[in-house]
Amino acid sequence: MNSEAAPAMNRPSPIDADEAALIRAAQKGDHEAFERLVHAYDRGVLQIAMNLLRSPDDARDIYQEAFLRVFKNLHLFRLDSSFSTWLYRIVTNLCLDLMRKRKTRREESSVVETEDGPRDRLDTVAEGRELGDPQRSLISRQLRSRIDRVLGELTDKERLVFELRHYQGMRLRAIGETLGTSEEAAKMCLFRATQKMRVALGDFV
Amino acid sequence: MNCESAKKNAALFLYGELTIEEEQAFQDHIETCADCGREFEAEKRVQAALNRNEVAIDPALLVRSRRELALRLENARMRQAGFGDWLRRLSDLRIAALARPAAALALVALGFFGARLTTPKTAQTPQVAGLGATEPGVMRVRYLESGPSGRVHLVVDETRQRELSGTVDDDQIRRLLLAAARESSDAGLRAESMDVLKAERTAGELRPVLLYALQHDSNPGVRLKALDALKPYGGEADVRAALTQVLLTDDNPGVRAQAIDLLVEHKGGMTAGVLQEVVQKENNSYVRLRCQRALEDMNASVGTF
Repeated sequence: MNSEAAPAMNRPSPIDADEAALIRAAQKGDHEAFERLVHAYDRGVLQIAMNLLRSPDDARDIYQEAFLRVFKNLHLFRLDSSFSTWLYRIVTNLCLDLMRKRKTRREESSVVETEDGPRDRLDTVAEGRELGDPQRSLISRQLRSRIDRVLGELTDKERLVFELRHYQGMRLRAIGETLGTSEEAAKMCLFRATQKMRVALGDFV
Repeated sequence: MNCESAKKNAALFLYGELTIEEEQAFQDHIETCADCGREFEAEKRVQAALNRNEVAIDPALLVRSRRELALRLENARMRQAGFGDWLRRLSDLRIAALARPAAALALVALGFFGARLTTPKTAQTPQVAGLGATEPGVMRVRYLESGPSGRVHLVVDETRQRELSGTVDDDQIRRLLLAAARESSDAGLRAESMDVLKAERTAGELRPVLLYALQHDSNPGVRLKALDALKPYGGEADVRAALTQVLLTDDNPGVRAQAIDLLVEHKGGMTAGVLQEVVQKENNSYVRLRCQRALEDMNASVGTF
């Protein structure tokens, strides 16, 4: 076999070799370089926001705010640190603020009104190709509902660590740096989150 | 390692977050402890279920976000540059320049978005041998980059994520690409995987995947890509049968039109009959016209008798 395994990445798009040059160019005002930097990360940003907030509108707002902050503060960014860590710190902080505001306002209802009556917010986002099979769709909805319930019950930090590790593929070390905590603390959060998932889904899968 | 530690480490093992020594101790333990082995299998099923729960990002949302950001960045740059510079920049029509790629992406996204609103299709998914047999649902291609001399670069999620490089001749790379072409949640990745595989002539394994995509993929762009990749096999019976089905049932006129071209390119005994049936049933005037012209070229009657 010719495959060459490499260490897991801290972000989804492998453009590391060009990244420093892109950042330097963007810091000097090169619009195209900034745009390329955005496009290297923006799917991940939208995915994190979407996973955490489960609302396309909120995810779009986070996307705008995060990249505008990057734009305004890029001149302060030092090339000896990780751009992805910096960006994801901005994104997770913005998401965390919004999640806390929602909790305060008790707005975090997962049910939205649709033409077909009340439905789970997540069900209105994307149902993939399971629609054609009602039984599969039902099981999928039940499973999704359980997962969402557990996600809602996680502490903010557990939720962030879980989302970043499971859905973004970030390593715990990078997650620790992003969230301003240690790798060991991130590991404990991940452990607790997966234990809760396991308990909730154990008899379902 | 004892049972308590093994249970604690099962998820971390799957995430690749244990040290080499811890991994070895964990593996040694579950090989000898049936209870922990079962626990580990259950943990894998939980992870697979979590993988399936990932929220899909609508391409239209990404396009809209990029477009809005381009405009907001331009406003921010104008404010930074001051009013005098603002007028000069306006005359450069930078907004239009930034909006152009976003508009192009919007058109592509429209196709994806439209496909989401159409009736999804279900069928038995063809299996790629050797994939997922031991790690159910935990291997996914997340990123693909094709380079010169047929080399491709993949980013693969196995819950733990790693990078693979190699050519399509490499068995694992090829199987991952086939799986990505068939079941990635990213339509762009499905289409690009087909492109790479098509170029490397992996016909035996690729054809069932292409036929499946042509008949069942929810995205018309991917179905068109599959049609394109099937061109060399247009004369084969299974491909012609799929083309006929597509012609009569696909809800996208662009796909139907392309199917006509491929069907006509490799005419068979039934071609005229199929086209005559389409002419009678087709609602789209362009597709109907293509059929009529094809029949005329074949010196066949446009009507059925």
